Amino acid sequence: MTGGREEAPAFGSIGEIEQRFAAQGYIADRMLATTLFLSVSLGKPLFLEGEPGVGKTEIAKVMARALDTELIRLQCYEGLDSNAALYEWNYTRQLLELRLQEARGVDRAEIGDNLFSEAFLLQRPLLKALRSEGRRPPVLLIDEVDRSDEEFEAFLLEVLSDFQITIPEIGTLRAHHTPFVVLTSNRTREVHDALKRRCLYHWIDYPTFAREVTILRARLPQVELRLAGQVCRFMELLREHDFYKRPGIAETIDWARALMALGVAELNAAAVDETLGCILKYRGDNEKLYQMGLTGLVEKALMPGHDPSATGQPAA
Amino acid sequence: MEPSPAPRLPTLLEHVAGFSRALHDAGLAVNTGNLIDLCQCFQFIDIARRDDFYAAARATLVSRHEDIARFDAAFAQYWESPRQLVIKRQQDDPDDEDAAADSGRGARLMLPGDEDGGDGGERKSLALSWSPEEALAQRDLGELTEADVERAQRLIREIVAALANKRGRRHAARRHGRIPDLRRLLRDRSLYLADGICPLPWRSRRISRTRLVLLCDVSGSMQRYSRFLIEFMYALRRELSDLEVAVFSTHLTVITDLLRRRGVAASLREVADRIHDWAGGTNIGGSLREFNERYAPHMLNGRTTVIFLSDGWDRGNAAEMRREMGKLRQRARKVLWLNPLLGTPGYQPLTQGMQCALPYLDHFLPAHNLQSLAQLRACCAPSATEPMRQ
Repeated sequence: MTGGREEAPAFGSIGEIEQRFAAQGYIADRMLATTLFLSVSLGKPLFLEGEPGVGKTEIAKVMARALDTELIRLQCYEGLDSNAALYEWNYTRQLLELRLQEARGVDRAEIGDNLFSEAFLLQRPLLKALRSEGRRPPVLLIDEVDRSDEEFEAFLLEVLSDFQITIPEIGTLRAHHTPFVVLTSNRTREVHDALKRRCLYHWIDYPTFAREVTILRARLPQVELRLAGQVCRFMELLREHDFYKRPGIAETIDWARALMALGVAELNAAAVDETLGCILKYRGDNEKLYQMGLTGLVEKALMPGHDPSATGQPAA
Repeated sequence: MEPSPAPRLPTLLEHVAGFSRALHDAGLAVNTGNLIDLCQCFQFIDIARRDDFYAAARATLVSRHEDIARFDAAFAQYWESPRQLVIKRQQDDPDDEDAAADSGRGARLMLPGDEDGGDGGERKSLALSWSPEEALAQRDLGELTEADVERAQRLIREIVAALANKRGRRHAARRHGRIPDLRRLLRDRSLYLADGICPLPWRSRRISRTRLVLLCDVSGSMQRYSRFLIEFMYALRRELSDLEVAVFSTHLTVITDLLRRRGVAASLREVADRIHDWAGGTNIGGSLREFNERYAPHMLNGRTTVIFLSDGWDRGNAAEMRREMGKLRQRARKVLWLNPLLGTPGYQPLTQGMQCALPYLDHFLPAHNLQSLAQLRACCAPSATEPMRQ
């Protein structure tokens, strides 16, 4: 096994990852960039955990674009089994083939001999990632692995440690090249340690104020620095409280976009009220915010000391 | 940036070993394979850069969000002043340390604020002063009427049946099933040889068996219900092979093995013997933490239903309890709470312990008599999958 090292290294340095990600509009901090770099260099899967909406899935997408390769995504759900994740036989085609062979008058002893060959195999994401013929190894995103069940975890463990798959009717299929694997989890349940041990682990936190402003400006270049600062400060304050679903970066971006669409230049209680649906998605959370006092929170967000436009560019 | 890495290497490896030891002391289990991963990282990063070194160490050695804070502390402490790297494992105090760790386990008690796993000696002395009510009360719990036992038995059989009858999503080959098994059909050559007339193989969804973990409160306030409690444990024990039972008051004891062994009367005496604080005070958060740390990794899985039997009177730390309930909720499939007080007219779950637990429960049910078991049965029925959490 050659491990994850291809002929030409995918990234030369940690700094290069930061740059290539930034070029795709994803602001990665040094910690994340280092972990990504090591994950590629060691050929080990990357296990990403964090609250919903902090950009876990996005990392895999950006990675695929930065590496200029294919993204293969496996969305996990309870009851996901190998038929949906790995491969399935194409029964319809197999039955048709039988009829055709009969019609062609194939000898009885040989009829159906070729039914279990790769031609009748439906490739599901995992097999597709292993058999990918592209120039570069694909990025395999195994999304929300915490939603699958334990049997599936055990099965993943097997696939991810050897990067080969055994199909009883055919034999063992090896990976052409080791895909770059990203697993994400929202921590609705604890994923088994054995699986995590096979991976490099990275916890993605909500971004700091300055970083969130940078991210927002990278994703929405049209947004005024002043408004971006107010939006991010408001989000920062919101996240200090215990909501059923705390807003993530995705919400920040959506919200800023909504505010701009409404022509809001400066945050005010009325505008927040109108666009609250972008930030909080549960009725209980909305009620909680009103109880806390929406106006007070807006005023707090507008307090001086957090306006990045006043002090120049925020530190990245 | 090091011009000659060759002479450095042995020291670096020693440092890694020392750091792993420091992590171990901080309560973080480090896997050897992951240490090797870390060493492999060194060829790709500039180890003179502290942030990159930190990133590599954290990515390889930590695999849980809860561990990050402890890791950071150990990291800062170790790399700011790496201890004298005499690998002083065995020479210093092997016996002392191990013995302390062991006895610390037996009488372990988590107190409010005692979070960083401070030294065992202090913890022990606190344990003695913690609960004034903790008394070595020997209870004779063996007087059950036959009729009671039978009634409970019948209800519990139904509960267990409901628990065990969940259909999984996986399929298994069956002689009679709901879905034709095309793969087997096509692999079996009789299809091609019998003019298309042959028995059709079937498959159906496999029944996934549920594991039950019972956490029983045996503190003073639960004393009145102890008969019911014991009854419940035994009845479940008889019906369900995959059952773990633990009792708690100020700390937690797993008694599965006791229940497994002998006749009711003898075991009850032993149970009461083993649990020194039977009918003492309550520290649910601490007990739960003990459970989460020591037992949860192997007892809980995605098929596990956890049942609490407690009145929720808690004298421990509320924040700790909330945190531990959250952890428990993540690991188990379902968490149920049976509260004997809930049967009392006008009862409101206002106690601190109950308030902490409620957001994490799938079902909150009364359990003051056998009738309430019928309600439990309803909750375990396959249709009752809707969580009650808002």
